[in-house]
Amino acid sequence: MALLRYIAGRLVVYVLVIIFALTVLFFVPRLGPTDPVEAMLAKVASQGAYMDAAQVDALRQSLSDTFGLNGSLLEQYWAFIKRIVVTADFGPSLSMYPTPVMSLILNALPWTFGLLLTSTLIAWVLGNFVGLMSGWKPGSTTSRIMEGVAICLYPIPYYILALVLSILFSYVWKIFPLTTTIRGAPWSWDLVTSVVWNSFLPAMSIVIVVFGWWVISVKAQTTALKEEEFVRYARLKGLSDGRILSRYVLPNAILPQITFLALQIGLMFNGSLITEILFDYPGLGLLIYSAVLQGDFNLLMGTISLSVIAVATATMVIDLIYPLLDPRIRHR
Amino acid sequence: MITVDNVTVGYGTAGFIKAVDQVSLTINDNEILGIAGESGSGKSTLMRAVYGDFSTGLRILSGTVTGRFVDATSGQVIEAQSKNFAPLWWDQLSYIPQGSMSVLNPLMKIEQQVVDGLPARERKGGSHALRQRIAGFFSGFGLEETVLDAYPHQLSGGMRQRVLVAIAAFVNPRLILADEPTTALDVVVQKKILLMMVEIQRRQRNSLVLVSHDLGVHYQITDRLVIMYRGQIVEQGPTAEIFANPQHDYTKNLIASLPRLHGKRAVESMGVLA
Repeated sequence: MALLRYIAGRLVVYVLVIIFALTVLFFVPRLGPTDPVEAMLAKVASQGAYMDAAQVDALRQSLSDTFGLNGSLLEQYWAFIKRIVVTADFGPSLSMYPTPVMSLILNALPWTFGLLLTSTLIAWVLGNFVGLMSGWKPGSTTSRIMEGVAICLYPIPYYILALVLSILFSYVWKIFPLTTTIRGAPWSWDLVTSVVWNSFLPAMSIVIVVFGWWVISVKAQTTALKEEEFVRYARLKGLSDGRILSRYVLPNAILPQITFLALQIGLMFNGSLITEILFDYPGLGLLIYSAVLQGDFNLLMGTISLSVIAVATATMVIDLIYPLLDPRIRHR
Repeated sequence: MITVDNVTVGYGTAGFIKAVDQVSLTINDNEILGIAGESGSGKSTLMRAVYGDFSTGLRILSGTVTGRFVDATSGQVIEAQSKNFAPLWWDQLSYIPQGSMSVLNPLMKIEQQVVDGLPARERKGGSHALRQRIAGFFSGFGLEETVLDAYPHQLSGGMRQRVLVAIAAFVNPRLILADEPTTALDVVVQKKILLMMVEIQRRQRNSLVLVSHDLGVHYQITDRLVIMYRGQIVEQGPTAEIFANPQHDYTKNLIASLPRLHGKRAVESMGVLA
């Protein structure tokens, strides 16, 4: 019963957070100076079509109709919430009209998700391993070197690193492609190698920086845990170093790291904006970027709503699975 | 069993701070030895030197701590200096820490914490038989079998301390060292735990060293008492004799400072209780 109440409470908070975020998301872009209808008219005009004032007005009216930009803000807001909550439909993209926003997102999602999930997990496993070792044996040469590397890498912004990597490995030494071009038939080996090849540098730029952060945080955890009384007690029981590390230090050090990992996976839906722009990588980040540039309300709303929902979902999932990992929360 | 010969122990690698100064004493087979003294008198340091816990810069400057253990199964005699005791931990020697929230691993069930570190001779039989034996042993401490499946945070302070005593005693070692095992507990729980420790010692016929600043504790259970002051032993002898006829001024002060009931010395009224 207590468990049901706990889950119900979490679900209510989850829904409220999402509705609040959608509300903010609806109003903020409408406060900006870009008008998608005027942008579209300018685009038409720039393509050389001549229209007199009346025709322009008519087009303006019909564009507003199709984009759902008629009526007062409040009316638009209700229509918007109804559409998203009831049909999960973000409408057509304004800049790539009439492609639905949802299909643009669904095309970009696997790219971002594949890139970031892989690189986040690699960085997490490596970083925690190195951090644990250097916290456990702070004197050893290997841990000093690894820790030094981590401390040097950690403060570098990931986009600077991405820039450096692409200059070094795509321009100076032409090993990896400068921009992402995927070749090969669907589900073919060529496609797989092409994807891995093209994703390598963007992935590295993320792995290296995030790796440093994991090393530093888990090392701090381990150093503190080593001083804990239960570790001293285990040592005075004559337990081997390996057993103390694997059964006493590791489980206690890794718990907070799991929380951070789940949050990172939630944040992933933002895409790594600048990495994707730099490498011309066809993920969510690039999509958000073009939505901002072109005043594409619907697309912007769709991508950002999705990332809000993802973060809220990740947080809820941690809340729901954490009791399985930590007996102190499970048995209260 | 343990012979401490003129030992000086202290801390520091570059400099050296004496905590125990030229101390000699013997821990006999089948006895409860108490070490009393105020904070900073060197009693815990002496105990660490006896256990062989030379971490955090603790080292012996001069003198020796020699152990002589008779292995219960093979009958073999093991003689070693305390700095080489580590292989004997949780075999010939065990240790009861001062109970606090964090002595037990918060993410491990109590049963596993009993089993972790057990010598091979106490593990014989399958894991089911071992669990039955642990459960039986725990019931002697007033701990139900469900405690074995609990995590430390689910137990009260008194239960956790009983668990720590049980863990050390289940090893069935020749020597148990207890560092302020009842200090954080109220007197009722304290008394129960002390009586359990005596009972275990009488049954296992091994040696128990009890470090405590609380003379009342020593009066209740120790056979022999060592009084430490400023790193030195100022008095030692059978507990009853020391309480009846303290020689050293510091001991006299300690005994005089025990709480009184009806103008009599508290130890006398405790004698009535016990």
